[in-house]
Amino acid sequence: MGETWSQMWDYLGSDAAWNGRNGLPSLLWAHLQLSFTALVIATILALPPAIVLGHVRRGALLAVSVVNIGRAVPSFAVIALLLPFSLRWGFGLGFWPTLVALVLLAVPPIFTNTYTGIRDVPDDAVEAAQGMGMQSGELVRKVEVPVALPLILTGLRVSAVQVVATATLGALVGYRCLGTPIVAGFTKSDKGPLLAAAILVALVALFTDGAFARAQRWLVPWRATRQRPHDNPIAEGQTQ
Amino acid sequence: MKRQLKVVVAIALALGLTAAACGGDDDDEGGGDETSERSGSTVNIGEQDFGESAILSQIYKQALEADGFKAETVGLGGFRPLLLAAFESGDVNFAPDYLAANLEELNGGAGEATGDADETLAKLEPRLEELGLVAFTPSDAVDTNAFVVTKETADDLGLETISDLAEKGEGLTLGAPQDCEENAFCLPGLKEAYGLDLSAGFTPLDTGVIPTSLEEGAIDVALLFSTDGRIADEDWVLLEDDKQMLAADNVLPIASQELADEYGEDLSALVDKVSAELTTDDLIEMNKRYDVDKEDAEDIAADWLADHNLD
Amino acid sequence: MIVAADEPLVRWDWVGDHLDDIRADAIEHVQLTVLAVGLGFVLAMGMALMARRWRWTYGPLAGFCAVVYAIPSLALFGILVPITGLGIVPAEIALVGYTLLILLRNNVAGFDGVSAPVLEAADGMGYEPWRRVLRIDLPLALPAIIAGLRIATVTTVGLVTVASLVGKGGFGNLINDGLGRDFSTPVVVGTVLSVALAIVFDLLFVLLERVATPWARKAPRIAPIDPGMPARIATSLGVRPEEVAVDG
Repeated sequence: MGETWSQMWDYLGSDAAWNGRNGLPSLLWAHLQLSFTALVIATILALPPAIVLGHVRRGALLAVSVVNIGRAVPSFAVIALLLPFSLRWGFGLGFWPTLVALVLLAVPPIFTNTYTGIRDVPDDAVEAAQGMGMQSGELVRKVEVPVALPLILTGLRVSAVQVVATATLGALVGYRCLGTPIVAGFTKSDKGPLLAAAILVALVALFTDGAFARAQRWLVPWRATRQRPHDNPIAEGQTQ
Repeated sequence: MKRQLKVVVAIALALGLTAAACGGDDDDEGGGDETSERSGSTVNIGEQDFGESAILSQIYKQALEADGFKAETVGLGGFRPLLLAAFESGDVNFAPDYLAANLEELNGGAGEATGDADETLAKLEPRLEELGLVAFTPSDAVDTNAFVVTKETADDLGLETISDLAEKGEGLTLGAPQDCEENAFCLPGLKEAYGLDLSAGFTPLDTGVIPTSLEEGAIDVALLFSTDGRIADEDWVLLEDDKQMLAADNVLPIASQELADEYGEDLSALVDKVSAELTTDDLIEMNKRYDVDKEDAEDIAADWLADHNLD
Repeated sequence: MIVAADEPLVRWDWVGDHLDDIRADAIEHVQLTVLAVGLGFVLAMGMALMARRWRWTYGPLAGFCAVVYAIPSLALFGILVPITGLGIVPAEIALVGYTLLILLRNNVAGFDGVSAPVLEAADGMGYEPWRRVLRIDLPLALPAIIAGLRIATVTTVGLVTVASLVGKGGFGNLINDGLGRDFSTPVVVGTVLSVALAIVFDLLFVLLERVATPWARKAPRIAPIDPGMPARIATSLGVRPEEVAVDG
């Protein structure tokens, strides 16, 4: 293990690590582009249906199934199965097949958390709002979504971390990202780049997690004084 | 509350015990009819993560078993460097490897290997000795890197050899595993021997998706094994290495010194006999059965041995 | 081509011929999952109890688990294998590592959810600390703990497939085989069975939850009621929070 560490420091000290197509900054940027795009698309796809279904309190079975299947599907299998279609339909290697797989990965936590959050808004709150004359649209916007916000943000947060970590798979189908040095490191004896890239991915994932946690505290300030070290345990936790 | 807790624990235990009980190891179905059982160490054959390695491992395994040896295959996953580590740890004491590739791995990619098998072997043997390993006689069957294009590309650009590629193919895209950038028999080799720099259009790909990418035109040139069964099947064109950049990657069984010493002639004679029967065409045929016809390595190996009266 | 014109998505005769292999993979998959979740649970429970006793330890412990969780499994294997070799050791190290964060968080959440008055009453009744944990804290924390186990198990089922890289992948072995030679049958079979196994485990946990905690409300909400809720609603309705009475 000690040798691997020194290999990493050697690598970080070298020119190759910072310049050019295979340099860490360039790989990092590509990695972030892919992750961010996947997250945005997943949010656009998952939020509206989840809010609607949660609001009408229907579709619990769908919510559960979606998240289960999403958790257990191996991402690389999805990418490899999609590849021929991606090529045939002109989307090429690398970015697009990986993007689809990442979106599939990101949707379940966002969907389930949003659905649960909206659905679990206490009935008395909904009734009180209705009593004040609110229609559905207003009710959703002004009561349900704000109340569900912690959970929605947790879903986004979990998704984001998963996506960042799993985007490394793009390297297997030709997308140059932080996964590239990791995959390359498998068959080399110099594990320096692998370790450096792995740590960088972990840092980005942790940073993303922290950023969302910060956003949660900022957007949902009335929770700031709570001591609880956890968020909602219900729909957390899935890795690639 | 106490009762519920007991039920919970009971279910958990039941699950755990079921998993453990069901876990009877899939014992390997004993090999063919052995003539007489030899006593001594089991031959543990290191098998790498691609079809040809699986087939070769099965061939040696079944041949050994037919002669009374105990033999097992040990999977090495996608980690080629692990082969040597596995010898060191004793998990493996035999492996069908490749002559030039093995030398280049041991000398850190110095490019010592040449197209001449004897010359390359002579350079390899001292290094193996240092590690407590010994090489058997190389087979005539060769599996080296292959630069392959589709028939359309070859016809369009008039490509038959790698020199042709150097002349007309500067802007083409190459799809190869990630290590191509440092592999002496890939990008650096092309540059040195042919003056061809394909690094601009180089796309690193997992070996499993390279054929599909070539087929769909996502890459112009693919790096495959020269014995890949799909080359003939898809009517692809294997560009000839006219300047002899590629080195002698003959199939080469290696073993630990202990194993070789333990069985001596009995082992080496048998292994050499099998290796002598193996041809490049055999490899291509067997790979085709594996990759295109989706047959099992075990069956393919059994058939080959039967054909050559080695079972 | 993985989905060639003449290659069906699933060759059923191949499936029939390879039932033994599939069965062996199924057993391996279940064993790896149960072992990982079991070990992970023991470790996470230990950490949770530690965090309960010494509050300040939660930060570092959760931080450590989060770091392990954030490392992509591909990289983790790449780093572990040269040290541990192949096989069950690196597979389980990675699998257990990935369960820790979710199990720790849920265990702690469960314990936190036990309301103070109950604990005070128990202490008042003369319960020694460890007996109290066993008979009061643990049973009341059970819903959250089981929820954590459920998620961790389903997640692990998915991750086991990645462990085919080190030769112990359960259904992942099938997927790996198919991917290596453009053969869709084992890929599809492996993926479907993997998902099916996850669903089976999930249903088992739903059953477990019902059996173990019959007093739990029907709604599957695990999070305890948020005392800040009235203030939040007030804000949404455009009323200033201070004007609304907030309970504890």
